[in-house]
Amino acid sequence: MAEVRLNAIKKSFGPVEVLHGISIDIASGEFVSLLGSSGCGKTTLLRIVAGLESVTSGTVEIGGRDVTDLPPEKRDIAMMFQSYALLPHLSVAENVRFPLRMRRIGTLDEQRDKVRDALETVQLGHLADRRPNQLSGGQQQRVALARAIVSRPQILLLDEPLSNLDARLREDMQVELIEIHKRLGLTTLFVTHDQEEALSLSDRIILLNKGKIEQEGAPREIYAQPATGYASSFLGAANLVSANITEEAGGPVATLADGQTLPVGKDETRRGPAVVALRQEDVAIKPKGEGVIEGKVRTRVYLGARNRYVIQIGKEEIRVLAPHDLDFERGETVGLAIDPARLRVLSEGE
Amino acid sequence: MTDRAENSLLILPGLLLLVLAFFVPIAQMLMLSVSGENGLTLAHFTRFLSDPYYLNVLWRTVRLSAIITLICALIGFPMAYIMAHVSPKLRLWLVIMVILPLMTSVVVRTFGWMVLLSRSGLVPEVLRDLGLVGRNFSLMQTETAIVIGMVQVLLPFMTLSILGVITRIDSRLEEAARTMGCSFLKTLRTVVLPLSVPGIVAGSLLVFTLSASSFVTPNLLGGARIQVLAASIYRSVTQTLDWPFAAAQAVILFLGIIVLLMPYARLSGRSNG
Ligand SMILES: Nc1ncnc2c1ncn2[C@@H]1O[C@H](COP(=O)(O)OP(=O)(O)OP(=O)(O)O)[C@@H](O)[C@H]1O
Ligand SMILES: [Mg+2]
Repeated sequence: MAEVRLNAIKKSFGPVEVLHGISIDIASGEFVSLLGSSGCGKTTLLRIVAGLESVTSGTVEIGGRDVTDLPPEKRDIAMMFQSYALLPHLSVAENVRFPLRMRRIGTLDEQRDKVRDALETVQLGHLADRRPNQLSGGQQQRVALARAIVSRPQILLLDEPLSNLDARLREDMQVELIEIHKRLGLTTLFVTHDQEEALSLSDRIILLNKGKIEQEGAPREIYAQPATGYASSFLGAANLVSANITEEAGGPVATLADGQTLPVGKDETRRGPAVVALRQEDVAIKPKGEGVIEGKVRTRVYLGARNRYVIQIGKEEIRVLAPHDLDFERGETVGLAIDPARLRVLSEGE
Repeated sequence: MTDRAENSLLILPGLLLLVLAFFVPIAQMLMLSVSGENGLTLAHFTRFLSDPYYLNVLWRTVRLSAIITLICALIGFPMAYIMAHVSPKLRLWLVIMVILPLMTSVVVRTFGWMVLLSRSGLVPEVLRDLGLVGRNFSLMQTETAIVIGMVQVLLPFMTLSILGVITRIDSRLEEAARTMGCSFLKTLRTVVLPLSVPGIVAGSLLVFTLSASSFVTPNLLGGARIQVLAASIYRSVTQTLDWPFAAAQAVILFLGIIVLLMPYARLSGRSNG
């Protein structure tokens, strides 16, 4: 196993700089998620670790060795591409065997066993003889996943490996990934859009924003204490409401744009204009008169177990998740209860 | 009138033209090749197939065409790969460079080669100066000269056929192969080459047929001693005025090409499916 160290990586495509000096240390056997919005540079960073993309400046180390100028085949990595990159002229089994064949791992029989195991892991044993173009998108994605894990490389690079799977399969594959990671202890760098996936799988989450690291930390830590507005809107899909924080008799209070006030945590030290982050699931809808502030129901979306309401407060709108047995109509005025401990105050402009 | 009937009616003129321009001449050639003084005969074929001279001509034609096709593929594949991976502007210039030989008249081009390859020409002279060959060395009137001249003309067919296929290969497949332990050359062999097979097959079909039926370049560069089938047909028509025998030779060339190319076509069909 090996650790990965990225030192001040910068990357420009022509005149455009897309990574602005990224430094990451990944311990041997660690499972790290790269989380961030589309186009923030996740794939580019992964390709740099794989050696498919040169760096403009900075260095890449794998296992204590500087590999910045080493071609991909000399780095002991496996990468799963966002677009799968299955070889169309080979069958599914041959695709999965490809890295074993090229790296000369094991005898033919051992290779066959490994291929079968990997395909069983992704629940595709029965399709071993098909061609990639005879598979559905989700099946192709699982073949690519099997091909990435089959050779047990020092570093496993996964670019949105589960994006194309239905909810059920995705959960299965998440469990498999956790098991594989536990069993083999592969150092894993995992790119995802999906915050829940990042939270449930990783030892550490690195949140990227426009080519910079916005925040990094353990899932619990980063979920409980998002440092910035971007972080809190990305993790937990929080509502961001601008407010003015003032000191009142009972402790600090946030005054919203429409004049309503909302107590914030006692140990909040920030004062003046700020942004309040409210998680959708941390706001409770009550009948009018109850709760700390009031708003008007704009829309209601049925989500099965829950409803999502869009509530208008003054000129701003927030989204709220509520149990489906609570029923409020469009246009109705409702009360909103918010636990001060669950609400985060962030400085403006972050 | 139904749509179907209308469609059939509309393609009728095209079909008629095809029959007139394509099938009628071939049918006529077939008829001619079996016509004798008193009725049908296979005499022209037996004459060809029992004369070692003509068998030798046939074998030379097939052999030279195969060598030319192989050399074109060996040069054309790397060339097409490079063309597919340079900037679009440079690619345009390379394409122009490759098809330039096709824009000049075959006679002019061949005379150019004659100047270069003859005893006092540039190529033998350089080889002589390097001490690689004897004093009387000439490349003219050799099979080598035919191969060189033909490869130059036919290379664009091979290169462009392969280029069309290679540009459609997703570059991420090559990258994926690299991350799975392939060096650059191994990637070429295990990914790019198998995926280029349809282009190589198409190019080979073109180059082989064109070189087997070509006549001017082999005739001028190979001279009278080194005959290929097309030149022999030409001689039968113009010198001995033996039209049925010329037709028989043409039929043999035609059938020979079809028999040789059949498995090839199937190969490309399989790699497509
Ligand atoms: N080869 C390239 N040439 C020019 N710009 C590029 C190239 N590859 C990526 N970019 C740019 O770099 C930025 C980061 O791209 P990247 O593919 O890393 O995003 P991402 O985070 O993986 O996004 P997504 O989640 O949509 O996959 C984007 O703005 C993209 O337009
Ligand atoms: Mg990406």
